[in-house]
Amino acid sequence: MGLQVKDVVLELGDGDAQITALDHVSFGVGAGELLAVLGPSGAGKSSLLAVCGGLRHPTSGTVVIGGKPLMAMNDSQLTRLRLQSIGFVFQQSNLISSLTSLDQLLLMVHLAGRRPRKADRDHAMALLNSVDMGHRANRLPDQLSGGERQRIGIARALMTKPSLLLVDEPTSMLDQVRGHQIVALLNEQCHQHQVAAVMVTHDVSMLDAADRSLHIVDGRIQEVAVSATN
Amino acid sequence: MFLAWRDLLFAKGRFLLMSMIIALVAFLMTLLSGLASGLIKNNISGLMALDVTNLAFEYNDRPNYRNSMVEREMWEGWRNAEGVVAAEPLGHTMFTARTPEDLPLDDVVLWGVEPGGFLEPDVLLGESLKGPDDGVIISALLANKHGVKLGDVIVLDRVLTKLTVIGITSEQNIGHVPVIYTPIRKWQEATYGPPGGPPPGEVLPDILFDYASVIALQLAPDTDIETVDIAWGTVTMDKQSAYEASSGYKEEVQTVKMIQGFMVVISALVIGAFFTIWTIQRTQEIGLVKALGGSNAYLLRDTMGQALILMILAVGVGTFLAVWLGLSFEQSGKPFMLVKDNIAGSSGLLIVAGLIGSMVSVRLITRIDPIIALGRTR
Ligand SMILES: Nc1ncnc2c1ncn2[C@@H]1O[C@H](COP(=O)(O)OP(=O)(O)OP(=O)(O)O)[C@@H](O)[C@H]1O
Ligand SMILES: [Mg+2]
Repeated sequence: MGLQVKDVVLELGDGDAQITALDHVSFGVGAGELLAVLGPSGAGKSSLLAVCGGLRHPTSGTVVIGGKPLMAMNDSQLTRLRLQSIGFVFQQSNLISSLTSLDQLLLMVHLAGRRPRKADRDHAMALLNSVDMGHRANRLPDQLSGGERQRIGIARALMTKPSLLLVDEPTSMLDQVRGHQIVALLNEQCHQHQVAAVMVTHDVSMLDAADRSLHIVDGRIQEVAVSATN
Repeated sequence: MFLAWRDLLFAKGRFLLMSMIIALVAFLMTLLSGLASGLIKNNISGLMALDVTNLAFEYNDRPNYRNSMVEREMWEGWRNAEGVVAAEPLGHTMFTARTPEDLPLDDVVLWGVEPGGFLEPDVLLGESLKGPDDGVIISALLANKHGVKLGDVIVLDRVLTKLTVIGITSEQNIGHVPVIYTPIRKWQEATYGPPGGPPPGEVLPDILFDYASVIALQLAPDTDIETVDIAWGTVTMDKQSAYEASSGYKEEVQTVKMIQGFMVVISALVIGAFFTIWTIQRTQEIGLVKALGGSNAYLLRDTMGQALILMILAVGVGTFLAVWLGLSFEQSGKPFMLVKDNIAGSSGLLIVAGLIGSMVSVRLITRIDPIIALGRTR
């Protein structure tokens, strides 16, 4: 289960400008495991997340999420897969500006075509509490700090009980202390909910909280290392 | 509709501004619709009140009431034709009239109808034309405006025919001129006879009474109009087309329709522009929702729903205010009339125009790539 990436090649652009953003990348992440992906700018980290999240079709290779291969899916099937099986945590303030914290989570229920019931609200409140944001449930994004917004983003990503969490540079807009808190929270949540998680970061100091890390340079994986704390 | 409502509340100011524009357009549309109905009523209420299906004019490329003249054998021919339920002559002549005290009554259209026939109007006051030979039924508007009462005598200028007011009917006009009704013989006398009536001791020749202006018809639906028209040298119009033979009617209706058409197009464009800008501003958030697993269908339903809410609320408010103002217009006797169906029609048209305008965002929304939710991919 979790995520399996096998021999993925992603070519971007065309003609002379064509580059190989991912070059025969293979790895796997199991349920309850947090994998950190490191690499210099332009290495292909965001491209990797895009492929894993069904936002880009790889040129070749296979991606399997929760036992389902992505290759055969069309755009609307991928959209449904993202809704049901993938939780995204984006960089900084990727919250909807008109929604309160609680509504950011409940939006996921609406996207699934249902009206939120009491059980959904309870689930959302429990998630907000678990990221220490219960007291901010009725605030709009404007009224939250960067760290608080990132916590709401994590809670939202877990709302649909996904099997895979994809995290894009969660700490880039935060200071050291808050950055570490967020990564620790991610680690705790993915263990607690038994979710496979891939976290892209350029900050080496965040590696401590990850179970494993993976370095990627020019679209190629350099080494697979087990994190020092584990 | 979850996001749509939250966005509406969140961006209140912008949506309010937009609603005000739409409400204003709806307000004007409703007033225009009232004006159109009012003008139509003011122009042709006399025709509308006739219990006929068709009118036959003397043959002419562009038939109108003033230059049409039909003979007895024509209306009798029509009366005996197949499918004709009833046919009666109708006389139409414009006069200026006075009271015996020489107070002008302005222009009136004298209609000659057969006493007791189906063309006779219902009277609000007084009696029908079956009474005296020189009786006349006048419209309430004329009576109120000039203080004419039952029993008063009015004199037609030029021909000096005297008519006694025996009945008052509701306001009936043709070509914006009030209609007064008299027995057809009196009409023939006034129209074709010598001024002041026959010389003392003489009678008017019978031939005078063999002419009228048009033939009013009650036809069965499958009447072979063309054949009868050819046989009697007439050209027959249905009631709706007969309206257009009244002067000014076509132009007035077309002008109002054109203004309304422009307003519908303007609304569609304004709404289109609004939703285009609104969608472009939200590109990042729409990409985010798609990345989270929101389908195009969900986002489109949301946007169209938003447009529908906006249109219904704004059009509702604008129409309500216009009806409120229109009621006072109606009471003040201006050519203004609120017709429920017409108002509902023009409001409905506006809402549809708004929805069509908002559809420009469909393409914009479907083209947004969810990958923009990932930071610094480009
Ligand atoms: N749409 C695109 N068309 C062509 N090339 C692209 C496109 N998007 C990204 N690239 C290129 O692909 C390579 C990998 O980009 P990617 O965004 O995955 O890097 P990254 O590791 O996320 O970098 P950063 O840390 O700066 O975000 C880069 O060389 C980039 O210029
Ligand atoms: Mg990147």
